[in-house]
Amino acid sequence: MKKVIEGSQGVAEAVRLARVNVISAYPITPQTHIVETLSGFCSDGTLDARFLKVESEHSALAALIGAASSGVRTFTATSSQGLALMHELLHWASGARLPIVMAEVNRALGPGWNIWTDQTDSLAQRDTGWIQLYCEDGQETLDTTLQAFALAEQVNLPVMVVLDAFFLSHTYEPVDIPEQEAVDRFLPPFAPRFQLDTANPCAFGSMVTPDTYMEMRRSIAAGMEAALELLPEVEERFAGIFGRRWAAIEPVRCDDAEIILVTSGTVTGTCRELIGDLREKGEKVGLLKVKLFRPFPVEAIRRVLAPARKIAVIDRNFSFGASGIFAQEIRAALCNTPGHPPVFGFVAGIGGRDVTKDVLEGIYRQTVESDRPEREDLWIGLKEVPDALEHP
Amino acid sequence: MAKKPDPVPVSLFIPRSYLTTEGNKTGSWRFLRPRYEEKTAPCSAACPAAEDIGKIEMLAAQGLFKDAWEAILRENPFPGICGRVCFHPCEDVCNRGSFDEAVAIHVLERFLANRARRGVFTPDLKRLAPKRQTVAVVGAGPAGLSAAYFLTLLGYRADVFEAADEAGGVLRWGIPLYRLPLAILQEEIRRIEETGVRIQTGNPISQRDINTFIEGHDALFIACGHGRSAQMGVPGEGLPGVQDGLTFLREIREGTISSLGGQAAVIGGGNAAVDVARSIIRLGGSALIVYRRRRRDMPAFGEEIAMALDEGVELRELLAPVAIRDSDGGLVVEVQPMQIAGTDTDGRAHIEPKGKKTEEIRVDRLFTAVGERPGEAWYEPPTEGNGVLRLSHCVLQQRASGPVVYGGDLTNATKSVAHAVASGKEAAMALDTFLAEGIEAVQPRLAACRVGEGPALSMEIYMHGPRSERSFHVVTSDEINTAYFQFDPRVRQPRLLREERVRSFGEVNLRISANLAIREAERCFNCGLCNQCDNCYLFCPDLAVKKDSGPLGRHIDYDYCKGCGVCAVECPRNAMILEEEAYEEGD
Amino acid sequence: MRLNIPEQDYMYSGHVGCPGCGAAIAMKFFLKAMGEKTVIVLPACCWSIIAGPYPQSTLQVPLIHSAFEAGGAVASGVRAALDTKGDRETVVVTWAGDGGTFDIGFQALSGAVERNEDFIYVCYDNEAYMNTGIQRSSATPYGAWTTTTPGIQWKRGRKKNIVEALAAHRIPYAATASIAFPEDLIRKVKKARETHGSRFLHIYTTCPTGWRMPSEMSVRIARMAVETCIFPLYEVEDGVHYTLNYTPRGFPVNEYLKLQGRFGHLTADDLEQIQEMVNEDWQLLIRKTGEQA
Repeated sequence: MKKVIEGSQGVAEAVRLARVNVISAYPITPQTHIVETLSGFCSDGTLDARFLKVESEHSALAALIGAASSGVRTFTATSSQGLALMHELLHWASGARLPIVMAEVNRALGPGWNIWTDQTDSLAQRDTGWIQLYCEDGQETLDTTLQAFALAEQVNLPVMVVLDAFFLSHTYEPVDIPEQEAVDRFLPPFAPRFQLDTANPCAFGSMVTPDTYMEMRRSIAAGMEAALELLPEVEERFAGIFGRRWAAIEPVRCDDAEIILVTSGTVTGTCRELIGDLREKGEKVGLLKVKLFRPFPVEAIRRVLAPARKIAVIDRNFSFGASGIFAQEIRAALCNTPGHPPVFGFVAGIGGRDVTKDVLEGIYRQTVESDRPEREDLWIGLKEVPDALEHP
Repeated sequence: MAKKPDPVPVSLFIPRSYLTTEGNKTGSWRFLRPRYEEKTAPCSAACPAAEDIGKIEMLAAQGLFKDAWEAILRENPFPGICGRVCFHPCEDVCNRGSFDEAVAIHVLERFLANRARRGVFTPDLKRLAPKRQTVAVVGAGPAGLSAAYFLTLLGYRADVFEAADEAGGVLRWGIPLYRLPLAILQEEIRRIEETGVRIQTGNPISQRDINTFIEGHDALFIACGHGRSAQMGVPGEGLPGVQDGLTFLREIREGTISSLGGQAAVIGGGNAAVDVARSIIRLGGSALIVYRRRRRDMPAFGEEIAMALDEGVELRELLAPVAIRDSDGGLVVEVQPMQIAGTDTDGRAHIEPKGKKTEEIRVDRLFTAVGERPGEAWYEPPTEGNGVLRLSHCVLQQRASGPVVYGGDLTNATKSVAHAVASGKEAAMALDTFLAEGIEAVQPRLAACRVGEGPALSMEIYMHGPRSERSFHVVTSDEINTAYFQFDPRVRQPRLLREERVRSFGEVNLRISANLAIREAERCFNCGLCNQCDNCYLFCPDLAVKKDSGPLGRHIDYDYCKGCGVCAVECPRNAMILEEEAYEEGD
Repeated sequence: MRLNIPEQDYMYSGHVGCPGCGAAIAMKFFLKAMGEKTVIVLPACCWSIIAGPYPQSTLQVPLIHSAFEAGGAVASGVRAALDTKGDRETVVVTWAGDGGTFDIGFQALSGAVERNEDFIYVCYDNEAYMNTGIQRSSATPYGAWTTTTPGIQWKRGRKKNIVEALAAHRIPYAATASIAFPEDLIRKVKKARETHGSRFLHIYTTCPTGWRMPSEMSVRIARMAVETCIFPLYEVEDGVHYTLNYTPRGFPVNEYLKLQGRFGHLTADDLEQIQEMVNEDWQLLIRKTGEQA
């Protein structure tokens, strides 16, 4: 049934339809609408789940680690500071191979309290073993959340569904909310491969020596590799039932593109429009939307980007001392391809600053006009500010 | 419902356990090793008969009265007698005494003997294979009867020769009925006879009989006792009205005296003197004990003195008789006041006359009870010399025709039934060892049977019973972990009221119920013995104490025991020991 | 007299606890009272290692190791999961050391009990971060040496009163217990087992290694802590009803302190000071329990 809902509500609807058993979350702007909607569902019986109103995000994920280890379907949501606080346990969840699903609303990190969108928070957790899926709009968000449970439970790895603060979380769009019966066909009840069980007692997470630890880590890596293979199958099954298809990457008019812009999140929507405009003017430009960030779809990206003449990556994030993170990953994906195109790494929209069509067009032009990038990070639209601490 | 997609085998190697920790043999960590080691309770070491008191009370506390009674009989054939007349040195050293009050061991012994009577228990005693040698025992007093009993258990044929018409010796003639009823004595003697001992009464033995080992016995035990009273050595001792106390007690038992009025003086401070005084009270007279030292110096048992005084016996201390005169149908005893001046070499208080003025005491009659001597010269044991061995309670002499042992009152400074039993037991062990291995083996063999530091000896150890596994270490009160005990008052043994006591020779101390007996026995710490309280098992952090069906009901699994020692400290009764782990070269 | 303790054990030999480890004794008694329908959440502490390295486990009940500060939260999640599966029989237990309870784990504990989560939180208290090498915690008593309070910098702060802090949350049941009083411990565990909502047990567990004392004195010293009124045995129901379970014999604190090397540096003045502090705390407690002074 189509309804006009916020991105946050889309997440909540997906969680309801997935028949999650245990939710544990701590509120943080701009995730609050997700947890409030879910609280409502639990309270009025729409969703038969236990919702633990824990006292911090660290405890939220800790509770889910306990619940998932007991063999039930689990969900949480957070953002920015909250995600950072969870960091220790993000490693723990993947190390324990628990299929926890989290909605992560991309928000800037303080200090300077900033509640607006920025990808640094989720990307800073790229090493923690969580599958990361970046969403462009409300429908994709709802659909991806449903797919997240299916994928997580197949590979026994936790999944982060990432959506931009406000531009997605608080934006109303018409979204098709599937029927429960269809979702039940797509997503069977969780069948845990292991759980705490008094009838079959064992210890989980004991001390592991150098003798064995490396193999356990390799197993996580193998899980990630399996995720790369299995995501298309999940998407295929989803398309078969719901008629909608998303993908790890989506190339838009890249086949003969000389310059390909690479985006993720809501910027993609703006960029699609730009590509349309530029193509009309005869520019040979294309767009690569990256949805799956972890595991990074190296092969697929290489195939799309290698033939182009230049690549312009738009990062709404930054890794201090290095460069924009998507740019880094793409450079790494291309470096072993002989004759690969130069990668221009643009940094824009940090801390919620608007990325308009004009900004994107400026990026395109700059790329056209330069043979090679003069530096690894090309910050867009910076203002003059005093360097000194004292205000003049 | 959706069809579950075919599961894709995704790698899932996680830290999930599939083994127990039992593969870690943590016993390899040990440098101290705990071990069960039963030790010696102080009571059993203080008991001249070396009764295994800790074990007896353990069995009694479990209601195993027959087993407890048999445990007594292993070391002492006279539980009914000792449970009435013993001076219970065990209670004086009882570790429970430092906690609240000593266990009423004496009362429990009597209870068990009573229980055996009521239940008509037949004892199951360990006996060695019959031996060809025979032993003649002279005197059917407690020492002689004990010796005969133990020799029979060791496999010998023992013949007891008693001059009097009835067996028992001092038990029959010397201890009044109010302390030891006749039926008890008769039963205990009968039980000894049932083991196979042959008692020939009315059969006095002469010096000549001794020389022939009474027609060819292989060994002799002489325990004729101190049946003759000592003289005071003062003028007037031969006057009518002055009588020997022991003879008096004998006459009461024979029934030739049934009442006695008037005031009597009793000279002496031992049990005989007190028995005489209390008997006089019961016969209707008044008694005054005159003793040359103080009450606390009197050799008589403290309880007996207290009861005597309670019954109306008077005591005058520090007075020594110097002369006795006739006077108006009665007697006048001239006494010299004495005072304490230091200590004698034997540890007793030294007395000397206090001033020159004497006192006079008027009485109707006077009884002497100043000591006993052997009746015949040949009763006396030889002193040191060739082939003479002084043992703790006996003297062994190697003669051409075989070994002769002297025992009982003849060789013991303390004249008690318990010492007599100790003497008889020692004699049996000494003779058995002598006959099997010769005189050189006697002392070492006996030393190995000591309980604690000795001199008490255990027949169970001699016969290589379980008691021989125990260490000689005597458990002290600070080695008891009193955290596991609660204060609980000692049982009060009921007693006839004073008014009832003085009216007859009926038994003064009365019996206690089984409930009270069990409760009292539960107060016993069982020092040094394992009573399977399970503290070791419960507190072991490594679950290394495993239950089994062995005698202790448990063993330590040394594969896992880390040697922490908690078991040894939490053992309430010091039945464990921690020792250094012995490692071999290359471990 | 034989202590009245349930017979069945739920632990194996071969664990790697130090000789005389009080925490091992505590777990042994605890599981005897709990039985097999128990799930243990185990945040970082000595027991993380004692429980055995992969692939071993020393317990016969299911166990999940958790991050250090998360004991209360992980247990909340396990409980929620069991509830949604319809399992009301299995009891969820957090088994944490003093570090994971008093300090880094306090937030999650406070959060969980404020929500009155239905679980038992057991803190076995050896009075320092023992597993990482005897560093001080807020459970370390006044006067103690630790590796981070060495020499003249011995711990000057009082031990945090965790039971009082928990009582302030008005939880249904909180109690202290000691390995030297196993019947009392077992009674309390059984009582906790039958209660619902948040239950907290503070078990005093000696550490021969960290307290510098001979291993064989492990239980004896635990007993002495109770008898000197340093660690009283009491219960608090609903945060307000105090019951004293055992009247200590009231030995002077030095009878306890002198047995342990970690207090060896204390002077006579220090001991007097400690005696006063213990007396004061004892008076505060008995006022609440209504016992006669």
